[in-house]
Amino acid sequence: MSLDSKCPTGPIEDRWEKHKFDMKLVNPANKRKFNIIVVGTGLAGGSAAATLAELGYNVKSFCIQDSPRRAHSIAAQGGINAAKNYPNDGDSVYRLFYDTVKGGDFRSRESNVYRLAQVSNNIIDQCVAQGVPFAREYGGLLTNRSFGGAQVSRTFYARGQTGQQLLIGAYSAMMRQVDLGKIKLFPRREMLDLVTVDGKARGITVRNLVTGEIESHAADAVLLCTGGYGNLYYLSTNAMNSNATAAWRCHKKGAYFANPCYTQIHPTCIPVSGDYQSKLTLMSESLRNDGRVWVPKDKDDKRAPNDIPDEERDYYLERVYPSFGNLAPRDVSSRQAKYRVDEGKGVGATGVAVYLDFRDAIKRVGKEAISAKYGNLFQMYQKITDENPYEVPMKIYPAVHYTMGGLWVDYNLQSTVPGLHVLGEANFSDHGANRLGASALMQGLADGYFVIPYTLGHYLGSHKLEKVSVDDEAFKTSKEDCVQKLQSLLDINGSTTVDEFHRRLGKIMWEYCGMSRNKEGLEKALKEIPALREEFYKDVKVTGQANFKNAELEKAGRVADFLELGELFAKDALTREESCGGHFRSEFQTEDGEATRDDKDFCFASAWEHKGGDWELHKEELDFEYVKLTTRSYK
Amino acid sequence: MFDEKLTILMTNQAQSNIKLMCIGKLSCIIEYELKENKMNRKYLASTIGRKQLIGVAGLGLSLFILTHMLGNLLLFLGDGGEAYNRYAHALTSNKLIYVAEAGLLFIFCAHIVFATYTTFKNRQARPVKYKKVAKGEKKTSWAHKTMMHQGIIILIFVVFHLITFKYGTFYSVSYNGETMRDLYNLVVEVFQSPYYVAFYVFTVLLLGLHVGHGLASSIKTLGFNDPKYNLKIERLGQAYAFLVTAGFAAQPIYIYIFK
Amino acid sequence: MSDKNLDLHLKVWKQDGPKAEGHFIDYEAKSVSTDMSFLEMLDVVNEDLISTGKEPIEFDHDCREGICGTCSLVINGEPHGPQKATTTCQLHMRTFDNGDTIYIEPFRAKAFPVIKDLVVDRSAFDRIIQSGGYISVATGNAPDAHAVPVEKAKSDDAFMSAACIGCGACVAACKNASASLFTAAKISHLAAFPQGQPERTLRAQRMVAQMDEEQFGACTNTGACSAACPKEISLENIARMNREYLKSNI
Repeated sequence: MSLDSKCPTGPIEDRWEKHKFDMKLVNPANKRKFNIIVVGTGLAGGSAAATLAELGYNVKSFCIQDSPRRAHSIAAQGGINAAKNYPNDGDSVYRLFYDTVKGGDFRSRESNVYRLAQVSNNIIDQCVAQGVPFAREYGGLLTNRSFGGAQVSRTFYARGQTGQQLLIGAYSAMMRQVDLGKIKLFPRREMLDLVTVDGKARGITVRNLVTGEIESHAADAVLLCTGGYGNLYYLSTNAMNSNATAAWRCHKKGAYFANPCYTQIHPTCIPVSGDYQSKLTLMSESLRNDGRVWVPKDKDDKRAPNDIPDEERDYYLERVYPSFGNLAPRDVSSRQAKYRVDEGKGVGATGVAVYLDFRDAIKRVGKEAISAKYGNLFQMYQKITDENPYEVPMKIYPAVHYTMGGLWVDYNLQSTVPGLHVLGEANFSDHGANRLGASALMQGLADGYFVIPYTLGHYLGSHKLEKVSVDDEAFKTSKEDCVQKLQSLLDINGSTTVDEFHRRLGKIMWEYCGMSRNKEGLEKALKEIPALREEFYKDVKVTGQANFKNAELEKAGRVADFLELGELFAKDALTREESCGGHFRSEFQTEDGEATRDDKDFCFASAWEHKGGDWELHKEELDFEYVKLTTRSYK
Repeated sequence: MFDEKLTILMTNQAQSNIKLMCIGKLSCIIEYELKENKMNRKYLASTIGRKQLIGVAGLGLSLFILTHMLGNLLLFLGDGGEAYNRYAHALTSNKLIYVAEAGLLFIFCAHIVFATYTTFKNRQARPVKYKKVAKGEKKTSWAHKTMMHQGIIILIFVVFHLITFKYGTFYSVSYNGETMRDLYNLVVEVFQSPYYVAFYVFTVLLLGLHVGHGLASSIKTLGFNDPKYNLKIERLGQAYAFLVTAGFAAQPIYIYIFK
Repeated sequence: MSDKNLDLHLKVWKQDGPKAEGHFIDYEAKSVSTDMSFLEMLDVVNEDLISTGKEPIEFDHDCREGICGTCSLVINGEPHGPQKATTTCQLHMRTFDNGDTIYIEPFRAKAFPVIKDLVVDRSAFDRIIQSGGYISVATGNAPDAHAVPVEKAKSDDAFMSAACIGCGACVAACKNASASLFTAAKISHLAAFPQGQPERTLRAQRMVAQMDEEQFGACTNTGACSAACPKEISLENIARMNREYLKSNI
């Protein structure tokens, strides 16, 4: 199958407008005849469900949480970008587009990114109208900040809880439709399978997490808004229940998986404190504006940080990147931290951390000023670590934060399975090989509020969809498969817990597919992951039964899928013989350790087709008509 | 009532089609009226409406006890109870007293009935209790938790109080030829019993606690809560409660010791 | 970081289903690191249980950074445990002493039926929001974000109310299992904005009616909800709701 991105042509400014006109419409009276399934209730899923219901479609909304309001979009702290140019500092739709393509290290689709930048402004309008309490000036107008090294202030924010406030906005819009009877909610349901009829996505099979019942749901189209797969690493900043199962099962039903190896690793997280660690906590990157990152010069230096004099400290970011210093980009500073730890200079009880020191900043501007800026972050840090960052340097270490890869979609957000649309972090489209700060929220809401309402209508209007029912063979087979798979996990009755397997997988991923990868390591991963998978199916211990609430069984299914996704990840990373964005191959770097992209051979998106036990690579060539291919430098 | 209207309508209108039309219209009206009614009914059926009524009634009762206490201060005049008796006589001989008593009884009953009902509903809202009770900053104060118990003791007291005084022994006294009830005599007699004095003082202290908490809480229930004034309101409520309590408690103690 | 280890006695509420009888079961948590979070301590206990073939303890949790509102638990009688402004997932074991006995119970309210063990059904909150916790604005209908300025103080107030994570600790803490703080926070949040004005009366009416219908108790201004609230939502919100409701009836 050839990959047709279905991108419109012509001047980039007009493409989306033109496409909107070219697409088919569903007349208002007919919309109520269509049933749509939306899986996931984060920013993408929540906004899509609400908007489609407003248009008149019948929506069924599914989530694994007990309430749609708890989807992991809620944890986003920083903010949301938009090209409003309210601060009058030279921003524009074109500049946001340009920055996003460049930030994505030239591995995204220009048309998609431009559309994203275009609708960004509507998102802010919509959210304000919903009552999202964005930060304001005394004049009553919205205020912006600069974020993630952007040279313009285009980030809208609500303290450190922007994701929460935006999600509550989408959730409330959704609940209004629930009240009107246009959305039916299915919380505590986990999607286990995609049901296709005549090659089209026509429904899903889910497990009711309370009763354990396997349910079938039929529809005219399925929207997958299930987030990223960062938990593949076991430890990440993702929520405990974030998983790739829904996306992976779709992949196995024919949806191509694109660019799995693009992972964003965030440099400022609270380090692991012990084996029991269940997840990592992110701390805003803004800390690097005032904090200085260092490790002791001598790797055997076990003195308390405050006892180490300046001349015996290695402020390595300032040393290696004199012009950017501590503000070097996320991937660069993450890698540098890893190098220090690999050299044995890591600090703390585990030796897997570096210092982020505010001593000099406090001396320069005073404790009050620092507290005003970072008070809540310092408080959070102290709550978790029991150390006072005003007195002793913080310890930080990078952690997996976001996955740019996901199911392959065309310009209409449709996957390679007709009728299956993928939105938000679950798709691969807009961020290329790396995502800019404050762009994830923008993409989720753009997809849900302003893209899918048009493109879904086009799909429904241009396909003849026969009536299907959950009593059809396809639904029954899918249901039986799911029941069997769950039972087989329970039947193994081995001796190792699900979490233990997950931890071991995470270690392999972090070691060989983490911040820095190389051929040898990836090949090792490609041996170790299948071996671990084999062991999993022999020795995993899942307690309880399938027909009751059973958290262990839920986890087991997810880890089983991670054990397959991990392999594809390593395969993709091995195939991509270049360094770009969130994918750094140590073989492909300049003498000063800068990533070397190979635009001649790798200027494509890798879309993997599932073929039984193996995968076939399809390439979507990427054209850059507007943003010229350049190499970044932070020296 | 609406059923009646419907029946009348049905018998009066012979032609079924007209009837149907009318029923349609009427049901619209009924629905509307019901909706309007429901709004009002809803107010007192709602937790907030009930609480606001309890609060307003409580505020009214607080005013009453203040006037009651101030009237009683006449006991201290040292005139052998003449002023006190004349005051009581003036109150009871006024025809308006029946209206006032009815009003007071109504407020009192409303306060009790709604508070009891609310407490009952509140208990139902948590059928299984916690094994452990919070003790740190997250605990609920003792005064808050026992509002109902305080209320019950106060109610018992009020009943005794009425039996003892309002419906107690009738002594007569004449001042300048005017004969009236010698309530003073009864009061002095009753407060010779240390048990009664103790019971009286204890309940009055409880009343102070109940009022002190209730005042501040009622203000919040009625919709006023501003950190700038909260402490002041709380203090004011406590001062008010203290004043009333002290005024009431002083009487039996004074009489027990000096009379 | 401290490297102290604790031995703890846990008394955990176990209940097979909504209709089943529940009871406390004793567990021993040995050498618990003080750097663990409360939920990590339960993870370790659970892993031990699973390896010995026993059923683990079911509890709700997700983001583990104090924002999603999924985790619950009443720890020694206190929702989210003894620390102020902290969710259970952010509570660390250093708050406890060696040899402590810890009672772990679910959030208890008629409106929050137990699903299993420590997991409760909080969908009543969704229904309260559904009844009016929104501003009716369909996608695409919004005017420019700067069309209506909002006084900064009001916007900040609205944020404080909007910070609610819907965890239900207010209900769990209240002696009457009242959902007033939750409902009031949403009513206050939306009433503070010019955009929220058109539906103000109806919102107060409908949300209060729904709150009552779910069989939560009445507010008696004890302040326990606010004290237990991980986001420290103020009691002022409830007075505001009372005012809004009173006004909506006049």
